[in-house]
Amino acid sequence: MSLPKKIDLHMHTSVSDGSDSPEEIISHVKCAGIELFSVTDHDAIKGCETITGLLEEGDPRFMTGVEFSCKDGEGQYHILGYGYDPASSPIREAVGEGHAIRMEKLKKRLGFLKDEFGFVFSEEDEAALFALDNPGKPHIGNMMVRYGYAVSKEEAISKYLDRFRAGNAYITPERAISAILDSGGVPVLAHPSYGRGDDLILGSDMDARLRRLISLGLEGVEAFYSGFTEKLQAEILGFAKKYSLFVTAGSDYHGSNKLVRLGDTNLSEGDEYPEGLLRFLERAGFTA
Amino acid sequence: MKEVSVKTAGNEISIILSGRIDSNNAHDVESEIMSAVSGKSSLPVVIDAEALEYISSAGLRVILRIKKIFPDLRIINVCTDVYDILDMTGFTEMMTVEKAYRVVSVDGCEEIGRGANGTIYRIDRDNVVKVYNNADALADIQHEREVAKLALILGIPTAISYDIVRVGNSYGSVFELLNASSFSKILSTEPEKFDWCVKEYVEMLKKIHSTVVPEGKLPDMKETALSWARFMQDYLPEESGKKLLSLVEAVPHDDHMIHGDYHTKNLELQNDEVLLIDMDTLAVGHPIFELASMYNSFVGYSEADHETIKKFQGFDFETGGAFWRASLAAYLGTTSEKKVREVEDKARIIGYARMIRRSIRRGGLDTASGRAEIDLWKGELIELLEKTDTLLFTRNELEIEASNDNLPLVTDFIEQHLDEIGCSPKIKMQISVAAEEIFVNIANYAYNPGAGKATVRVEVADEPVTVTITFIDSGKPFDPTKKADPDVTLSAEERNIGGLGIFMTKKIMDDIRYEYSDGKNILTLKKDIK
Repeated sequence: MSLPKKIDLHMHTSVSDGSDSPEEIISHVKCAGIELFSVTDHDAIKGCETITGLLEEGDPRFMTGVEFSCKDGEGQYHILGYGYDPASSPIREAVGEGHAIRMEKLKKRLGFLKDEFGFVFSEEDEAALFALDNPGKPHIGNMMVRYGYAVSKEEAISKYLDRFRAGNAYITPERAISAILDSGGVPVLAHPSYGRGDDLILGSDMDARLRRLISLGLEGVEAFYSGFTEKLQAEILGFAKKYSLFVTAGSDYHGSNKLVRLGDTNLSEGDEYPEGLLRFLERAGFTA
Repeated sequence: MKEVSVKTAGNEISIILSGRIDSNNAHDVESEIMSAVSGKSSLPVVIDAEALEYISSAGLRVILRIKKIFPDLRIINVCTDVYDILDMTGFTEMMTVEKAYRVVSVDGCEEIGRGANGTIYRIDRDNVVKVYNNADALADIQHEREVAKLALILGIPTAISYDIVRVGNSYGSVFELLNASSFSKILSTEPEKFDWCVKEYVEMLKKIHSTVVPEGKLPDMKETALSWARFMQDYLPEESGKKLLSLVEAVPHDDHMIHGDYHTKNLELQNDEVLLIDMDTLAVGHPIFELASMYNSFVGYSEADHETIKKFQGFDFETGGAFWRASLAAYLGTTSEKKVREVEDKARIIGYARMIRRSIRRGGLDTASGRAEIDLWKGELIELLEKTDTLLFTRNELEIEASNDNLPLVTDFIEQHLDEIGCSPKIKMQISVAAEEIFVNIANYAYNPGAGKATVRVEVADEPVTVTITFIDSGKPFDPTKKADPDVTLSAEERNIGGLGIFMTKKIMDDIRYEYSDGKNILTLKKDIK
């Protein structure tokens, strides 16, 4: 297969915190002229399974994806996994674990709202929350507005939900990386310069972080990212070269939940692909 | 406190950020901005960060996303901490980021320098601020900082500004200048240091003029001079105008540095180090353009009113004139008044053109005193143009690395001066032979096994016509005149070759003197030419 001219390997559907359903995201990907894409929901592979079943002859090429939120003593990371077999048990167990942690947090959040403020919801509404693929603060916030506990979702989050600290309920990077590898996938560090939230990792800190993750099995870095300046991109490409890592490109599209445009990876059409990206595409079955 | 508010004022959207923008509120800040700016993507957007204390990577991503919708996004009033984050992550390279500037007052501060574009004040014991004349000076400040860095890299001792501040309605750049005095101040208060000032001033000038600037880094002074010459076409008789233009056009391109505003207020003595300041006029070009501006500073501007220089430099017109002539003589490496006058006249041509243009553009023709000044300069200029055929000149001094490879430069340099006086080929050859002996001797032995410089000075005097060639090096003390003459009665194989060289030199030249002074070997050769 010849090389795809436009790629976007990082986007979220409504299975996690994006606003597009898997069906919608396929049509948006087509409109954007993307020739290779991957859906990377947080701790979930259900969107990928749905999309695999929906794709038809002539549609853009698709690669399974996932984005694990990880944490250990050294910091927080988003680890992307690409091209895994969705039927294999290691990846299913890992997302199951991630999902369980999320459900546990939901339970604690609801308990917190009840204990601290006396906010209670009907059993049906709580059950509906637990039935969501990826219930989080916005979903609870919306419900609080419906019950009249807050005037807006934003107020619900900043005034009430953010007062609860969900704590260290994340899987470790070791766990995420080995689950991806054991399911035949490629583990890639998402938007490396931006750890998570407030982390900004540069220079020797970045170097140390990468060495550690590489020792755990990391194989690639998302050097092309919508939120990178040229300087950050150049730094990550430098590390990719230094450690012979795969290079990927992703927008982190969240539908209408964020301002990111689908396909905006800062890798322009016509740009020469760096060696790490060519190797990644080759592994996915594309040749120059 | 709310972290964001959006105002549409005039034709601009202002996003005012305050406090901390981090992962806790970045999402809300983004939603707020988006709902306020939606549908207005044609208006310019500016983020006012005056009250922003911290921005995390989550906040940076929001800024980047705004930038993608509003490509002309600017961020202003950024505090140092936030600026550092933006700088480190490359945001300062992809959008306009203006720092919040400290406000500094120069009321009552000592004025220590003044250049074409600004005035330098001492704000405390260790720091000075250069206040720019124009209110919109940020680009100029940036330019000066860039060229100062370039000069420093190329080996010119200078001060580089470390901060930009707000002074009244304009901007200033702050430099560290510890306990320094300008040369103007030294000349005004310690007249006994006149000779020392000339020596240091000329040494710096030579250093500037021997610095090669990579192509395209600095403006070409010839272009500027051409624009002056073109301007003058409307104010000079046709013939004079044409002559002026052709003289400037004939000046060859030169990639050596010139300062452009080299007077004694722009030279500072800091402890024992001489520093060049006020670098915004740095350019490349032939040294005649530099000399023109020097003439104006010390003499030209004060020709009509001798008090002018006092206000500007602190010393009087006589001191200014004496300093200019002594410096020019030392720069040329001559003691001949005739030569100094000759080069001064060339400098005056460019100098007058520049001053007349400047005065006319500032409304000089509208006042009686302005017209008187312009008429004075114009009269001189027309006279000078009649008797001048080239703006080029040769210095009587050449300073080069003492190595055998440079021998052709030395002989060419000497022969050039001999040609000027129409010296016969025979004498020319004899003198070249003598000079070669001396220079090769310095190249081989003076700094052996190290390396160093040699200075060759050529002086021509009339009536009687004599040529004086001086070789100066800072190597091991060595007096070649003391060397015993070889026994020329011996056969070639038996003779000491080295000794023969100095013997020939003595035979060729009419006088040869050696002096060791100030750590230097000074050898002077003289030849009478019929």
